[in-house]
Amino acid sequence: MPTGTDLARDLAAIVGDGHVRVDDGALAAYARDATPLFTARPQAVVLPAGTEEVAAVLRYATARGIPVVPRGAGSNLCAGTVPLEGGIVLVLTRLDKLLEISSEELLARAQTGVTTAALADAAAAKGLLYAPDPGSRTVSTIGGNVATCAGGLRGLKYGVTRNYVLGLEAVLPTGEIIRTGGRLWKDVAGYDLTRLLTGSEGTLAVITEATVALLPAPADTGTGVAYFDSLADASRAVAAVIAAGIVPATLEFLDRKCITAVEEYAGLGLRGDAGALLIFGDDGSPATVSGNLARIQEVCAETGALEVTLAENVARADALLAARRCSLPALSRLGSLTILEDATVPRHRMAEMVDRIDEIADRYDLRIATFGHAGDGNLHPTCVLDPDDADGAGRAHKAFAEIFAAAIALDGTITGEHGVGAAKLPYLTDRLGEDQMALLRRIKRAFDPAGILNPGKLGS
Amino acid sequence: MTDHPIVDPTGHTPAPAPGPRPGLGIFDKELLDRCISCGFCLPACPTYALTGEETSSPRGRITLMRALEAGDLGPDDPTLAEESSFCLGCRACETVCPAGVEYGQLLEQWRDHQWSGPNRPWIARALMALVSRPGLLRLQGLVRRHARGTAKAPVQPVTATTGPDPAETPADDFAGQQEAGPQVSLMLGCVERGLYPGVSRAAQQLCPEITVPTRQGCCGALHAHNGDSETGAELARTLGEQLPGTILTTAGGCAAHLAHHLGRDRVRELSEYLDTKGHQPVGQVTVNGRRARAALQDSCHLRNGLGVTRPPRELIAAVADYVELPSAGKCCGAAGTYAMLRPEDSKKVLEPKLDEAEEADVDYVVTVNPGCLRQVQQGLRRRRSRAKAIHLAEFLALAARSAPDVPPCGDPAQR
Ligand SMILES: Cc1cc2nc3c(=O)[nH]c(=O)nc-3n(C[C@H](O)[C@H](O)[C@H](O)COP(=O)(O)OP(=O)(O)OC[C@H]3O[C@@H](n4cnc5c(N)ncnc54)[C@H](O)[C@@H]3O)c2cc1C
Ligand code: SF4
Ligand code: SF4
Repeated sequence: MPTGTDLARDLAAIVGDGHVRVDDGALAAYARDATPLFTARPQAVVLPAGTEEVAAVLRYATARGIPVVPRGAGSNLCAGTVPLEGGIVLVLTRLDKLLEISSEELLARAQTGVTTAALADAAAAKGLLYAPDPGSRTVSTIGGNVATCAGGLRGLKYGVTRNYVLGLEAVLPTGEIIRTGGRLWKDVAGYDLTRLLTGSEGTLAVITEATVALLPAPADTGTGVAYFDSLADASRAVAAVIAAGIVPATLEFLDRKCITAVEEYAGLGLRGDAGALLIFGDDGSPATVSGNLARIQEVCAETGALEVTLAENVARADALLAARRCSLPALSRLGSLTILEDATVPRHRMAEMVDRIDEIADRYDLRIATFGHAGDGNLHPTCVLDPDDADGAGRAHKAFAEIFAAAIALDGTITGEHGVGAAKLPYLTDRLGEDQMALLRRIKRAFDPAGILNPGKLGS
Repeated sequence: MTDHPIVDPTGHTPAPAPGPRPGLGIFDKELLDRCISCGFCLPACPTYALTGEETSSPRGRITLMRALEAGDLGPDDPTLAEESSFCLGCRACETVCPAGVEYGQLLEQWRDHQWSGPNRPWIARALMALVSRPGLLRLQGLVRRHARGTAKAPVQPVTATTGPDPAETPADDFAGQQEAGPQVSLMLGCVERGLYPGVSRAAQQLCPEITVPTRQGCCGALHAHNGDSETGAELARTLGEQLPGTILTTAGGCAAHLAHHLGRDRVRELSEYLDTKGHQPVGQVTVNGRRARAALQDSCHLRNGLGVTRPPRELIAAVADYVELPSAGKCCGAAGTYAMLRPEDSKKVLEPKLDEAEEADVDYVVTVNPGCLRQVQQGLRRRRSRAKAIHLAEFLALAARSAPDVPPCGDPAQR
């Protein structure tokens, strides 16, 4: 590998002087993402301006065997952008052009450095909806969303990012620029590389442009909250809601620990004596929304809710959704080392899973609160540690290993939306088995023969 | 279940369990630990918008601070120096941070360390020396007598609560004796009294009940933002003793700094004060016979530090057609001494705002802070723009003058 100054000079020849960083400060700043406990410094940070420059950087790196880690906003929670083997961090924030929003074709085309919120807002301005809405939407990029197949708060009704990606422009590690899919809803020509790249976590290609499907914006939305004695009761309510034939846009839950933390932090007027709460919401025509919310209200009451209320106005609805969105920061106030995880189980086994998490937390003497997307069975057990607790991180690590094993044992998975990254790679074989892991590695080699793209992650 | 060691199959190890790690003590540990590196602050940051680089984002700067605290980056590291100065200190990052990181405090501690002694930019040093010397402030007072404000109404004599100081009384417009009024003291502001004396005059016209103590120093915000937070705190406390009762300021930056040291209850920024006392602005500002179109440029510290955004808008809307510019809440690039220390970056931050003002075809850009006033004023002049920048106090006074039969305070008994 070329040394620091040679690397800087060579890269500057590709992207221009101002867009390569090799100073210690920059290397420190790009040594981590939103994942606690993982850091590794790269040798260089490069910020290309467009697809051709990305291709040139990749050709250069492949020829010399230099690792390259693609990076959007670095908001991932699985150490996906930590440059474990050093090399180049390839930052895509300068690819920030929103290229097109088409009301006729119901689609948007954007360079991958555009933030999710910028794309969604531009669509909304034209009366259109970009359905995926990760909690991190104001900061995360479309590229990062596609590469991790991000989910979000509307996941139950609308699904995850994958369902909306129509086509991609991507650069292979060897420098070829490919365009997968396109602008069509129906297109079955060839292997579905669009789907393969979606969720590939920066290990197969660098995505430079995405075409995503939009929907007409729903005319109305509504939100409500139901309190329960226990999460088991809440889970029964979720099952009953779905059984009643309603698939609402949002069904989020908070356990008792989260309710207390959120209430202390944000003072939203949540009931402190409840064991769990469900936030439900729907969108559509005014009649559908009010009908569905009324029905959910009934079902919750029938399944033993302590109290069910509908938000009387937008402000109250926003406050309820804020309760869900601020769970992580609210918890982080209890201890500054906050490890948020992402296990998913079939919806009807959620209560079982929560019991397992509580039992594991007690055994390891850890504070683990759980919130998540009840409708999807997607749980975010979150461990809050005092950074002065010398072996706390070690205990948390063991506890999470057991939590992932428990999820798999309940027919679930080790990540529902955040991705595998470096943080969960050790558990992937338990989920996929050896044969599939071997296939993953062969696919990786087909795309990236030199093995330079995001080493230590998927396909390694 | 397989037993997973902390080391993963590829041989990569998560960073060692933190445990107690003694830092260098540059930062308050609690403050620094609170950041969870989620990156929510990135889209709010004007410098990140300029570069798109992690280093010039709030999260990146906190990572740099942590590296400094841990000794991973040396105190002479050029990136540390660059970033501590590139940051505007606008605190926009604080308002969006879900974890409640008090970035403004961290920045003060960072600059205390980074900008101590000879490392402090000389312009900042000169200014700090100027404003912390009462004698020099008095000299500014002299200059001010000859300076021209927009508001030309006669100045009212008011109570010199601390008693007249023979040495400075003649130099101060507000000197004089009157019976003791309600406990609201107007702070003159060290930059403002020199550059924009019309602002305090206008404020006094709007609020005739206030007193203007003649002996008052600098609030210390300038020091706190330029690497000397200790002097900054000391000056704030001294000013708190000099100004009895509620302190009324016409500068968002001073308001936030004073509120931090003296308590929120003791400090009121003008628009906030007028709002709480139910002040109804009178008259209207006209241009060529029609009602003026006016936009507000928020003061960062007022907005992000004290959360005051509604009152100035409502006051403007009462006397003119209010126009909200898309970037009203974003820093204008003045940022205290920033416009002098980093003029190029400062301009880059300002330019899009001027584009917006011209596009919206406003007559006035109203500000609530002298630094912002100067910044926007110069920017508009540079462009030979039709729009003018004006301080809120002067804007309201201007409106009041259009209603000659009604005194500006709206209460004839008080005049
Ligand atoms: C508070 C908080 C809330 C969150 N809420 C959600 C949520 O509700 N749902 C959810 O799914 N996630 C959520 N996340 C996780 C995270 O925001 C998402 O994973 C997001 O999609 C990451 O986008 P990014 O731009 O930050 O990507 P990065 O973090 O920069 O990168 C993520 C991965 O994608 C790869 N990558 C990035 N850009 C490209 C590209 N152009 N080409 C190829 N590979 C690329 C990287 O190599 C890395 O492996 C949350 C995170 C936080 C901190
Ligand atoms: S938003 Fe707050 S917690 Fe998140 S990275 Fe920024 S400062 Fe840290
Ligand atoms: S204070 Fe302003 S410029 Fe500095 S990091 Fe925060 S948002 Fe960015």
